[in-house]
Amino acid sequence: MSNGKLSSRTILVVGGGIAGISATVEAAEAGYEVVLVESSPTLGGRVAQLNRYFPKLCQPTCGLEINYQRIKKNRAIKVYTMTSVGKVEGETGNFTVSLNTRPRFVKANCTACGDCAGAAESEIDNPFNYGMDKTKAAYLPHAMAFPLRYVIDPSVIGSPEAEKIKASCTVDAVDLEDKEGSFEIGVGAIIWATGWQPYGAEKITQYGYGEVADVINNVEMERLAAMNGPTAGRIVRPSDGKEAKRVAFIQCAGSRDEKHLPYCSRICCLGSLKHAAYLREQYADAEIDIYYIDIRAHDKLEGFYQKLKNDPQVNFIKSKPGSIVRGESGDPTVKGENTITREIYANSYDLVVLATGMEPSARGEGSSVNLQRDEYGFVVPCVFEPDGMIAAGVASGPLDVSMSVQSATAAALRAIQAIAQGEGK
Amino acid sequence: MTAHLPETKRKYDLTFARWVSRNVHGGDKLNMCMQCGVCSGSCPLGEQMDYGPRRLFMMIRAGMKDEVMKSDTIWNCVACYRSEVRCPRGVPVTHILDSLSVVAVREGYAEAKNAETTRFAKAFWWSAKKFGLTDERLVTALYYFSGGIGEGIRKGMANQKIALRMIGKKRMHVGMPRKIKRRGELKKILAKAVEIENRNDAAAGEEVKS
Ligand SMILES: Cc1cc2nc3c(=O)[nH]c(=O)nc-3n(C[C@H](O)[C@H](O)[C@H](O)COP(=O)(O)OP(=O)(O)OC[C@H]3O[C@@H](n4cnc5c(N)ncnc54)[C@H](O)[C@@H]3O)c2cc1C
Ligand code: SF4
Repeated sequence: MSNGKLSSRTILVVGGGIAGISATVEAAEAGYEVVLVESSPTLGGRVAQLNRYFPKLCQPTCGLEINYQRIKKNRAIKVYTMTSVGKVEGETGNFTVSLNTRPRFVKANCTACGDCAGAAESEIDNPFNYGMDKTKAAYLPHAMAFPLRYVIDPSVIGSPEAEKIKASCTVDAVDLEDKEGSFEIGVGAIIWATGWQPYGAEKITQYGYGEVADVINNVEMERLAAMNGPTAGRIVRPSDGKEAKRVAFIQCAGSRDEKHLPYCSRICCLGSLKHAAYLREQYADAEIDIYYIDIRAHDKLEGFYQKLKNDPQVNFIKSKPGSIVRGESGDPTVKGENTITREIYANSYDLVVLATGMEPSARGEGSSVNLQRDEYGFVVPCVFEPDGMIAAGVASGPLDVSMSVQSATAAALRAIQAIAQGEGK
Repeated sequence: MTAHLPETKRKYDLTFARWVSRNVHGGDKLNMCMQCGVCSGSCPLGEQMDYGPRRLFMMIRAGMKDEVMKSDTIWNCVACYRSEVRCPRGVPVTHILDSLSVVAVREGYAEAKNAETTRFAKAFWWSAKKFGLTDERLVTALYYFSGGIGEGIRKGMANQKIALRMIGKKRMHVGMPRKIKRRGELKKILAKAVEIENRNDAAAGEEVKS
């Protein structure tokens, strides 16, 4: 599949999270052709997995919905999901990019009726809920998926179950012969919006993630609080389903640490403040302790911090805990030194949430491409000698959604400039 | 380490912090400390320390020389290295505490000289240097009596049972002290170590002057 129509005036956007989507629509609405590739089966990225956005606590789905409409309306945009970048050759204004696709086993005429999921028996870890529950091997990634099309997990392919799934589809959208593929396109500039992944909490061994029951990370907390999450929005502890009312948040879990992520991830303080708000909304008698080095409510978001600070049921403890262990009652117990009172504490909770940071996902993936990165793995622009490789969103540094969108708009303009320069050559 | 402690005059006197930075092993990393508390919170003896590492480090910055030198925090460290491993800023906590304790003894602080750990370390080192091995019996005796005859007898009596059981299990040696074979070689190694330390200190001293 080669696309002869695409030219050096085309912009390639890699990654279909909020940053990639924004860069795509901005560039396309300025009159440029855009190819958007996303390695997972759906657009939306990490924000689709958030329950609500700070500071206004609005739904992430609403911002996505508007952008999906803009994509659908614009004929200059081509979206390829389950697609990733193989090789990049050439220079600004004239890149040849090879793209690799994974099979979805479901064609575009899928109506998302869900009959295939009904026919499927096997279950897989649900990636949308970070594996906290299961989903059928024929599944829709989530209700806000774009395209709104089912996926069949490769694990069932070749089994009688796959035939049963195929037979269940009344519009014959299941294609069990679907294969991996690759194709090349020519583009003038590339925007890398590959986003982030949660820092592996198990690497902070003294915090017991994966060892001590009811120690979770902050992306799991988002899913616990979400109506479309594993508990239908009830914030309960994973071990026994008990209501999580006494909850501790451990800030800078892995961030600002030379042994882990040396930088401040910028969003986790606000993330935990937001989680405290979820808890206070759900349980009138919730008691929350936030362990911190210093609270960094960046930009104009200080007000959100002040609001929670005034809540007597939200406690701020200035301390980076030493360890989290299983207490005698089985509850997770946080140990450390309160640096204000100089008291050595051991406090037990229903649930402990590690506020893990954001690590650039581009670190590993797409490493065949020679991108300029800073010491932490974030993609940095080549300022003095623009090379047509531009970063947007968290691929460029730890940003929240509004900053990601701003950086995406800037990236779209940069890409347009790169193309203009290429044409001038 | 030969450089002597500076005189400090004002209450918040930075000369002490600077001195520690240049003369204490790992002290140059102290300016990385962000007072997060992970060291004191990780310490298995945290509750038995008067200050704990975090607060002690702040006191160094504040120029509280005498309080630091007299503190038991530097003596109660058991060198488990938990704080050092967990410190997000790479401060070598264990090394700093150890090095501070050496300074305190050398500077003649009574608290340091009389600290149990100092007395034990002295006994231990005497045996290691003399025989190339530690003799449990002599080290223990020397340590017990370092606090005076009365204390020596009291401690000895209190631990008699343990001693007898150790002898029974061949964990404590009786008879002439055991020695390593080539003690002359050991002497040379130790002399070399002292020479290297002096050389490093001289270099650090130059740095202070410049
Ligand atoms: C616990 C938590 C709570 C948060 N809450 C908020 C909040 O309330 N408000 C707020 O403003 N911000 C919040 N954030 C920050 C927010 O999640 C990010 O700002 C946002 O996700 C950035 O979007 P992005 O598009 O840059 O990256 P992503 O959302 O990570 O999207 C990147 C996309 O690129 C795809 N991709 C990756 N590599 C490739 C590749 N090689 N090829 C093709 N595709 C690829 C990925 O599959 C993904 O779809 C929170 C963060 C955390 C950790
Ligand atoms: S935002 Fe807060 S929790 Fe996250 S790294 Fe920065 S200071 Fe630590």
